[in-house]
Amino acid sequence: MTAWLQLVQITRKDLLIEARSGEALLVTTPFGAVALLFVPLAVGTDTPLLREIGPGLYWVVVLLFGLLVTLRHSAVDTPAQIALLRLCGVHPVVRLAGRAVASALLLLAFELLLVPVTVALYDPAPHGWPWLLVVLPLVATGLGLLGTLAGALAQGLDGRTTLGPVLVLPLAVPLLLGATQAPRAAALGHAPWPWLLLMLTVDLIAVLALLLGAPHLEEVA
Amino acid sequence: MHPQLSPQAELTGVHVDVQRTAVLRGLDLVVAAGEVLGMVGANGSGKTTLLKVLATLVTPVAGTVRVRGPVVLLGHAPALCPQLTLRENLRFVAGLAGRDAAVADASLATVGLAAAADRRADRCSHGMRRRADLARVFVTEPSLLLLDEVQTGLDVASAGLVDHVLEVVRHRGGASVVVSHDRDQVARLTDRVVELVAGRVGPAVIV
Amino acid sequence: MTLFGRRLPIVAAVLLAVGLAAGLAAPPDRIQGNLQRLMYVHVPAAWLAYLGFVITFGASVAWWWRRKPGHDRLAAAAAEVGVFFTGLAIVLGSVWGKPVWGVWWTWDPRLVTTALMFFVYLGYLALRRATLDPQVRARRAAVFGVVAFVQVPIVHMSVLWWRSLHQPPTVLRPGDPTIDHSMLAALLMNLLAFTVVFTVFLRARMRLAAAHDEADATPGPLAGDAVSAPRLEGVTRDG
Repeated sequence: MTAWLQLVQITRKDLLIEARSGEALLVTTPFGAVALLFVPLAVGTDTPLLREIGPGLYWVVVLLFGLLVTLRHSAVDTPAQIALLRLCGVHPVVRLAGRAVASALLLLAFELLLVPVTVALYDPAPHGWPWLLVVLPLVATGLGLLGTLAGALAQGLDGRTTLGPVLVLPLAVPLLLGATQAPRAAALGHAPWPWLLLMLTVDLIAVLALLLGAPHLEEVA
Repeated sequence: MHPQLSPQAELTGVHVDVQRTAVLRGLDLVVAAGEVLGMVGANGSGKTTLLKVLATLVTPVAGTVRVRGPVVLLGHAPALCPQLTLRENLRFVAGLAGRDAAVADASLATVGLAAAADRRADRCSHGMRRRADLARVFVTEPSLLLLDEVQTGLDVASAGLVDHVLEVVRHRGGASVVVSHDRDQVARLTDRVVELVAGRVGPAVIV
Repeated sequence: MTLFGRRLPIVAAVLLAVGLAAGLAAPPDRIQGNLQRLMYVHVPAAWLAYLGFVITFGASVAWWWRRKPGHDRLAAAAAEVGVFFTGLAIVLGSVWGKPVWGVWWTWDPRLVTTALMFFVYLGYLALRRATLDPQVRARRAAVFGVVAFVQVPIVHMSVLWWRSLHQPPTVLRPGDPTIDHSMLAALLMNLLAFTVVFTVFLRARMRLAAAHDEADATPGPLAGDAVSAPRLEGVTRDG
C-alpha cells in the first residue's frame, strides 16, 4: 500500500516539474512538429504521396522524439535525490515505475498534440482511425517504460540523451509496426487484434524488465 | 537501555572500492546511541564514502554493516528538486515518509524559511537551500543523522541551527555523524572525533 | 599466458584453410554459379553473430546470479566479437544480394532483425564504454543484455508478420537437406572453422579484459594517495 502511495507521489512530482519546466510539451513537441513540417519540404508536396506516408511519418516522429520526452532533463534524479528516496524507503522499482507512469502520460499528451499537426500537413485517409484510441495508449505505455529503462541505464553518463535512444529504439520496432499496421489492417477490413496483442506483449515485457531489472540497477542493501 | 549495549551503527571489517580505488580497508567503527561523532580526514580520504556506507547506500565488498534507522543523509549538494518550491519539496518528502503535509510546513518554519516556503528551490540562495535540506530532519525524524560538510555556506544563525538539529536527534536517543574540515567546529559540535587515515579509523583525535 | 594461445590459432588457421578450399572445390550452384560460394562465409558469420549474442545473454544471466567479474568479461567479449561477425554477415549478405536480387538491401525479416540486433549490441557496447565504474558497468550491461535478448524474438516476429520474402531454411529441415552433399560438407567445415576462429577471438578478448582489470586493481591505489600537500614555496608576500 505504501508503495502505491509513493508511486503516486513520484508521478505527481514528475508531472508538477513538467508543468513548471514545459520541457516535454513546450519544447519537444514543437521539435517533433518541425520534423513533420520538414519532410514535405524535402520529398515534395505531392498530395497523394503525403497522404500515403503521413501516418507512418507520424509514428516515426512519435517514436524518435517520444524517447526524448522520456529522457527529458527534468526526469533525471541527482545522486542526492536518489539517496533521499532510498532513505525514505522508496524501492528502485517504485521510483522507476512512478517515472514511467508520468512519462507515459506525457507521451500520450505528446501523441495527441501531434495528431492535428499530421492531419493538417498530410491529410491522411481517416480509415481505421477509431483504433487509434487503443493504439495511442499502448504505444505511450510501451515507450514510457522503455524510455524509463533507457534513462536508468544511461543515468549519469555522458551523452545520455543519445545513448538512451540507441539502446531502446531497436527494441521498440514492434511498437512502430503495430501502430502503423493496426489501423491499416482495420482499413482493409481485417481485425487488427494480432497487432494490438503484439504491442501489448511489448508493454508487458517492458513492465517485467522494469520489475526485474530495476533492483539490479541499484545495489539494494 | 545503556547506549553502549545497543549501538546506533556498527561497522566491522568494512572494505569498499570506488572506481577500482580501495577507499575503506577493514574499517571498524561503532556509533553509540545518543552520541555525536565528528569525523575529519584529508581530501579524498573516504569520508563521504563512509557516510554512504552508514546510510546503506553503498554495499561493502567485505565486512558487516549494522545500522538502526531511519537515516537522514545531508550531503554536499542539497537534495531538492530545483523546479519545485521549498514547500513542495518538503511535502514530497513528508508524503513518501507517510507524514502529514502540515509537518513539512512546520519544518520550514523551524528552519526560518516560512516566508520563503513558496519560492522555487532554484531561486533560493545556497544557504537557503541548505536550510531547507536541514528541515528534512524534522520531517523524517531520523535516529541516525549524517552530515557531510553541511556548514559550508551557512550564516551564523544557521550554524546555530546545526547545533539545534544535532540536539533534537540526540534528544530522541539517536546518533549523528558530522564530517567537516573545520576542526574547531567539529570540536564544538561533537562528543568524540575520529580521523580517517588509510581507509581506516585512526586513533581518537584531540582537537 | 599469451593473448591468443599457441595451439588454438594454428588449429583455427588449418581448419579455415581446409574450409575455404572445400568451399572453392564444391560444385557451383546451378542457378547462381560461383556467387553462391559466398554462402561458405556468410552463413558461418551469421551463425556466429547469433552465437555471440546467446553467449552475452547467458553470461549476463550468470552475472545476475553469481556476480562474478568473469561473467561480465565473457558477456562483453561475446558482444564485441558478435558485433564484428554481425557486421561481416550483413556486408557479405549485401555483396551477395546485389548481383542475385539486384539490390544491396531487401526488407526481408531475417535481414531486418539482424540489422536491428547489430544496433542493439552496438548500443550495448556504447553503454559499456560510457560507464566508468566497473561494478556499475557490469550491473547495467547485465540488465540490458538480458532485456535486449528477450526482446529480439518479439522484434523478429513483428518483422516476420510485416513481410516475408526470404527463402525458407534449407539446412535445418528434417529429412534430406535440399542442398548437394559436397556443398553441405563444405558449409559444415566452414562453420566449424569459423567457430574455432570465434573461440580464439573470444578467448583473447577475455584475457585482455582480465589483464586490464588486473592492471587496474594492483597495486591497489588507496583513497587519498593521489592528494599531497600543496607546494607553497616561491612566492613571498613583499616580493
